[in-house]
Amino acid sequence: MNKVFKALADPTRRRVLELLRQRPMTAGELSEQFAVSRPTMSAHFNVLREADLIDAHKQGTTITYRLKLSVLEDALLGFSQTFGIGNIAAPRPSKGDPS
Amino acid sequence: MSPRITTAIAIALLFLAAAAGLRYAEGAGLIGADGARRALQILIGLGLAGYANLMPKRISGAPRSPLVERRTQAALRVGGWSLTLAGLTQAGLWAFAPLAVADPGSMIAVASALALTLGYALWAFAACRRVPDVPTAR
Repeated sequence: MNKVFKALADPTRRRVLELLRQRPMTAGELSEQFAVSRPTMSAHFNVLREADLIDAHKQGTTITYRLKLSVLEDALLGFSQTFGIGNIAAPRPSKGDPS
Repeated sequence: MSPRITTAIAIALLFLAAAAGLRYAEGAGLIGADGARRALQILIGLGLAGYANLMPKRISGAPRSPLVERRTQAALRVGGWSLTLAGLTQAGLWAFAPLAVADPGSMIAVASALALTLGYALWAFAACRRVPDVPTAR
């Protein structure tokens, strides 16, 4: 559960989950939505994947991510979004630092 | 045997053991008939909530077309949320409400959630069949 809290504490990762709520997206499509480097985004994806919040499917060189939230995790995501947890403490992820 | 089947069997055995334990406690006069019934219904409600909580996580296979993925995800979320809330409602009613309220109330809650889950799943299935299956854009 610690991994889930860590993953949901970051606004960028929460935004990734919100985007995946609309439809599955490739790593490239998701990265285009953020003004951070690809390695940084890759690290964010890894944190989400380790917390089992997203599912990654690799086909060739393309990785497609899908949302994989339980009801409790979904509620925690909504709670974090509502109260902006981590928005002040971690306003913008710097390059090479995903958390 | 897959871990999922093993877990399901373990949970089923736990429920059976709890039911047998409650029956024994009732027979031994440790709890009343109402208490045993309430405890079992609370356990069933919590079991339903726990199972439904993980429902949206049960995705497998390669991603299909964006429409199918979106509808599948939405159906799993609707089912997961409605059945989780129904399970918690059942547990709450059997824990705190009078029997006259808990009995029909929990049945209505679970039946409504099941109807919503099945109805939404059928609607999503029909919506997916109306359009051709286009693979996810790469």
